[in-house]
Amino acid sequence: MDVNKEVKKYVDDLFKDVGASQQLHDLKQELRTNMEERIKDYQAKGMTEEEAFKEAKVSMGDLSGLVDDMREHGKDEAKQHVYTSMTNRVSIGGIVIGSMLILFGVLMSIGMMFMEIEPVAVPGTGIFAVAGAIVLTYSLLTRETTKLYSMNKVRAGLYSLAVGAMLFALFTGMMAGLATGEMFIAISSFTVIFIGGFGLWIGLILTSKSTRKKDQIT
Amino acid sequence: MSGKISTDLIRGNTVTIILNVLRQGDSYGYEIYKRIIDLSDQQYELKEATLYTAFRRLEKDGLITSYWGDETQGGRRKYYRITENGIEKYEENRKEWEVAKDILNQLITGGDPDGRE
Repeated sequence: MDVNKEVKKYVDDLFKDVGASQQLHDLKQELRTNMEERIKDYQAKGMTEEEAFKEAKVSMGDLSGLVDDMREHGKDEAKQHVYTSMTNRVSIGGIVIGSMLILFGVLMSIGMMFMEIEPVAVPGTGIFAVAGAIVLTYSLLTRETTKLYSMNKVRAGLYSLAVGAMLFALFTGMMAGLATGEMFIAISSFTVIFIGGFGLWIGLILTSKSTRKKDQIT
Repeated sequence: MSGKISTDLIRGNTVTIILNVLRQGDSYGYEIYKRIIDLSDQQYELKEATLYTAFRRLEKDGLITSYWGDETQGGRRKYYRITENGIEKYEENRKEWEVAKDILNQLITGGDPDGRE
């Protein structure tokens, strides 16, 4: 038998009806490490793995006080859950509004192509799409899913800014190009802003220090 | 192993015993457990469950702090370290104990007309 697996199962069973929390996660890790070491000690004294595991369980003592303690923390976590789902509702609103803005900007621009107006005005409503993309990016990143924690608000804001700058560059480039009819003006005004946004974006990716992936608390 | 000294007698002193181990250096659950057995010359075993409960309370009261070790093999160990407040508390408890043990001794064994004490 894989004794470490048995230990994990035993510790998990002790707290099986307790809500998840960081404290519980840490305590389980602590119990496992110490129990594994104790089993190794018993084995060194000549016990079989089974005997050692059995002995370690006996000498653990009464853990009911700790279980109650952890149950309190689990309750706090439940409260936190309500809070997160609040943020999620806000972020879902952001996703809807962002998507609507993008659609509005794009469709209006398409519509204006068929209007009898100056071509320079055509991409004008595209600015709504830029704004929509910023809102959408922010909302998507701050959303908590079952697999990912929501991103830090400042960081999500910077990401949105980077995306916004890059799209705004595209927008400015098109406007400038159509207004002057000169391709080089279009490209140069695009480049200046785009590089700013791109630099910010690369910087953010390279500094992604903490993974948002959730630790599978089992 | 346990049962040689009654749990009732020792209960009020669990905290002082743990602080005494930790004031001699940082340590983790199982090591503290073994150290207590050694200190008692194998006469007393403080159950692990009691230890973990005490750690949590001590940490909440600011008498000890904890940190994770950086073991590369096996699971990570959670180490405990005594704080300044913890050392103060220990000294205080120790003084109390010095006084109490003499008084208790007199109360429990004194006044015997047979002159045993």
